[in-house]
Amino acid sequence: MTVNTQTDTGRRVIDRSERIAIVLNYALLIFLSIIFLIPFYVILRNAFLPSKLITAFDWTWLPMPPSTNGWRDLLANTNANIVDGLRNSLVIAILQTVGQIAICSFAGYGLARIPFKYSNIVFYAILVTLMIPGAVTFVPLFVLVASFGWISTFQGLIIPGLFSGFNTFLFRNFFLNFPKELEEAGLMDGLDHFGVFFRLVLPNSMSVMMSLGVITFIGAWNSFLWPLVIGQRSETWTVQIVLSTFMTAQTVNLPAIFMGAAVSILPLVIVFLFMQRYIVEGVKMSGIKG
Amino acid sequence: MSPKTITRRDFLKLTAMTAGAAVVAACGGKTESGGSSAAGGAAITLVQYYHEYGEEGCAEASKRYADEYTTVKSNVKVDRQWIPGDYGQKLNAALLTDQAPDVWESGPDAARYKAGICADLTDLYTGVKDDFNPAVIDASSWQSKIMGIRMIIDTGGIYCRKTVLDAAGVKPPTTLEEVVNAAKALTTDKQKGLFLGNDGIGGVFDQSIYASGVKKLVENGKVVFNTDRAAKAVSYIKKLNDDNSLLVGAPTDWWDPSSLTGDLAAMQWCGLWAMPGIRKVIGEDFYVVPWPKLDDQGAPSTFLGGWTTFVTAKSKNVDAAKAFAKWLWIENTKNQQDWSLSYGFHIPPRKSAAASAEKLKSGQAKEMWDAVDKYGHDESPFWTGAMGTALGNAAANIIKNGADAKAELDAAAKTCQTELDKVLA
Amino acid sequence: MSVMASTPSAPVKPKSNTRLRNTLTFWAFVGPLALGLLVFVYIPIVWGFIISFFEARQTVTPSQFVGLTNYVDMLTDPNFVKALVTFLIFAVFIVPTTFFLSLALALLVNNTTKGTSFFRTVFFLPTACSYVVASMTWRMSIFNGLPFGFANIVLGWLGVAPIQWINKPDPPYFWIVLVTVRLWLQLGFYMILFLAGLQEIDRALYEAALVDGAKRGWQTFRHITFPLLRNTSVSILLLSLIAAFQAFDEFYNVLSTGVGSSSNITLARPPLVYIYQVAMADQNYGRGAAGAFILVAIIIAVTIVQGRLFGLGRAEA
Repeated sequence: MTVNTQTDTGRRVIDRSERIAIVLNYALLIFLSIIFLIPFYVILRNAFLPSKLITAFDWTWLPMPPSTNGWRDLLANTNANIVDGLRNSLVIAILQTVGQIAICSFAGYGLARIPFKYSNIVFYAILVTLMIPGAVTFVPLFVLVASFGWISTFQGLIIPGLFSGFNTFLFRNFFLNFPKELEEAGLMDGLDHFGVFFRLVLPNSMSVMMSLGVITFIGAWNSFLWPLVIGQRSETWTVQIVLSTFMTAQTVNLPAIFMGAAVSILPLVIVFLFMQRYIVEGVKMSGIKG
Repeated sequence: MSPKTITRRDFLKLTAMTAGAAVVAACGGKTESGGSSAAGGAAITLVQYYHEYGEEGCAEASKRYADEYTTVKSNVKVDRQWIPGDYGQKLNAALLTDQAPDVWESGPDAARYKAGICADLTDLYTGVKDDFNPAVIDASSWQSKIMGIRMIIDTGGIYCRKTVLDAAGVKPPTTLEEVVNAAKALTTDKQKGLFLGNDGIGGVFDQSIYASGVKKLVENGKVVFNTDRAAKAVSYIKKLNDDNSLLVGAPTDWWDPSSLTGDLAAMQWCGLWAMPGIRKVIGEDFYVVPWPKLDDQGAPSTFLGGWTTFVTAKSKNVDAAKAFAKWLWIENTKNQQDWSLSYGFHIPPRKSAAASAEKLKSGQAKEMWDAVDKYGHDESPFWTGAMGTALGNAAANIIKNGADAKAELDAAAKTCQTELDKVLA
Repeated sequence: MSVMASTPSAPVKPKSNTRLRNTLTFWAFVGPLALGLLVFVYIPIVWGFIISFFEARQTVTPSQFVGLTNYVDMLTDPNFVKALVTFLIFAVFIVPTTFFLSLALALLVNNTTKGTSFFRTVFFLPTACSYVVASMTWRMSIFNGLPFGFANIVLGWLGVAPIQWINKPDPPYFWIVLVTVRLWLQLGFYMILFLAGLQEIDRALYEAALVDGAKRGWQTFRHITFPLLRNTSVSILLLSLIAAFQAFDEFYNVLSTGVGSSSNITLARPPLVYIYQVAMADQNYGRGAAGAFILVAIIIAVTIVQGRLFGLGRAEA
């Protein structure tokens, strides 16, 4: 095996102490991986274990044979329906992601490239919103949205979350570093700014869109406080709300709760496994890292 | 595949497809709920909120009552919302808005009455007022108006596992000192002595104040709970915590009996409502006693609580909502009996209904009913949410952080008095 | 972050109709966002600011002007002050911890040739979990305080008696619960940021240093890696500080059980949770809004101080 660290081109002979360092590096990584995977293991174990064994004094390592009661009880709970919750979360997260990326990439491009006298003032006004914790505006926002008649509606759940100062900031950073020559050539060829944006800039910004999209999707999927209060009717509950009601409900069915948790994580895990490389790529380009 | 090989066209196609699918799904969701609310062509839809009752069958029953009302009054449809989780805060948020529920349940709260949130229900009581337990009328009264209708009376006590106590030679406690000793004696490495709540306090802080001889937290416009004896009484809860004889971190909180029936604790503070569920698992293997007295100058204590129905004053259909509330919680004795006795155990607030409640007339249920008559402390409407928070903070400081009990009670009393003055002003 | 203060370069002296067209184009691009922020952020901020000077109980319609009373009430409320202190301690601890641990993870992962993407995935995966799910797992199964909780099982093997994790201030075991849940959820994301930064460092620099006799390891890290990660580092400090200020979900879900017994939250109640309680439970919206703006003032002050310390926003390469 040729051991070859990234800071080394492999030309040199690897000495003993380096070999030890490499072994230690891997040992540490494996140890940490186990630690990081424990919560996932616990969730899955509890999901497939009968209730009695979860609260037993001896730890059961593997649910053998796996019990499907958790799944059955989860589906049977009509007060908080997990299937509806998953569907709602999916709808909300997709629309919010697509909408937010569209709106913020637009705004980011405008701020980065369209000359406007007060562009900086607008930009700072957007930056200020980053410093305001959501809970500060929470109650007035709730009443405002309620006055539109949007309680327990998809508009109410989705629209207030479409406008992200943070993503706009990142898009602006990214577009500022975008090769200007390309756009100038486009303008010379008679394209207007919209043409330049859609034909030249957008096709070359896919990975940053993907990575911010994934991060936005995660945020939307996992969001808690807003859907908790705006989604008064159970038809509009997201999967997080369904889960939290399991946790505070008067009777607690542990296998069903953890089955619900497992089910709620699954879609994101799949998104992650497929999109991971874009995230690293996009992070490099968007300038989140500076 | 390198990220850059996705073409713009692919990207737009993908985006349009996912967004389109999401919109379709969203619309699908809406037609579903729209479909149900349009049923029957009712002219008026009343929205009614319940918190989630833990007892099996309650959800279905409340839905049944709502549907039944449409057969009585064909132009009204009741949209019953069953709200698990943090009900109080969801309700408070909804009440701020135009989309507030028309009919909802909560506890007595003079701050709400004062703010004009609740409709005056006095006229619904014509001819039946005397049939209600006076305590529940008091709790809903505000400036000689009655703002709510009590649906159920709840009470609670310490449930003790008979076999466990007998095996350890422990008697059900009759003083706070005995609670501490019993909990200690019953604690083993597999089972804790007592479960009060997952924070080690649960609902017994107020009860301990009462156990010292304090009759009411608020009396004649004055906050009166900060006595030396009350400080002494609450310090027993601290003792319980310090002894490590309390169960904390259980999967369910004190209002659910599974910690008792699941052998996690030998004794548990819980409600009368849980009795049928307890019987189902452990039969008659339990005693119930009220929260014990501090000493002979004090008295045992329990709560006379429950849920009360209110009507939103600014509701567009306030008259229809009042009519529905009257039908369900005043006229319809059959459903009231059903609600109180068929799922968990609650005491019907109407004397006539309570008198015919056979299930409450024997055994441990009767003991609890007697206890609530003798020792029950009803909820005062002048005890507002903010005052509850203040006393809760004091409780946490005393029991968790070891702060001086009397000083904390004094500070809480001062905050509460300010709040009370605002409500009475 | 370095570009924060720079302006898009405008073409020299545009003609007035070009300028008008540019202005319209600008608003066509930025307008939707600006409008959304105006309606859903600025109006609520202004509204909140107004009611913070009013008596607003059970309602968010300002009724009676009370001047600074709400602010004074909040600042003299020992529970709010305690919440601020709790939070500052938390921030002082969690921000550097997050920083160094995520950097360490990134370095470890970056040092591998085999299994790199496996390790990266494992550490990043918790980001997919919500605070609700993680809090639930922590509270109900890993640190549940009963002998069958996972942490207590593991301690049992070592002969340690079961610990009641979330109950008492002394010893403050609950901090272990709160800190581990946050680290588990967040480290992976910051690790990815560091990895991206590490991958951009020119390898030739290391070779040059090795030729000059530097030892691989601490020396190259100190003189090459760390200085070149400066921008990434500053962003991560800022992001984790903002995240710490927003602390709500795990405190709310781990410490309070929603209904019933709620005094555990007083063990470590961050300001946002306290403000939420004042507003939503006590129905005192004026006071809640005042608390919120006190917090905003602190956030802005800290951000400025941090900017001074780390040169955030300073124009540099």
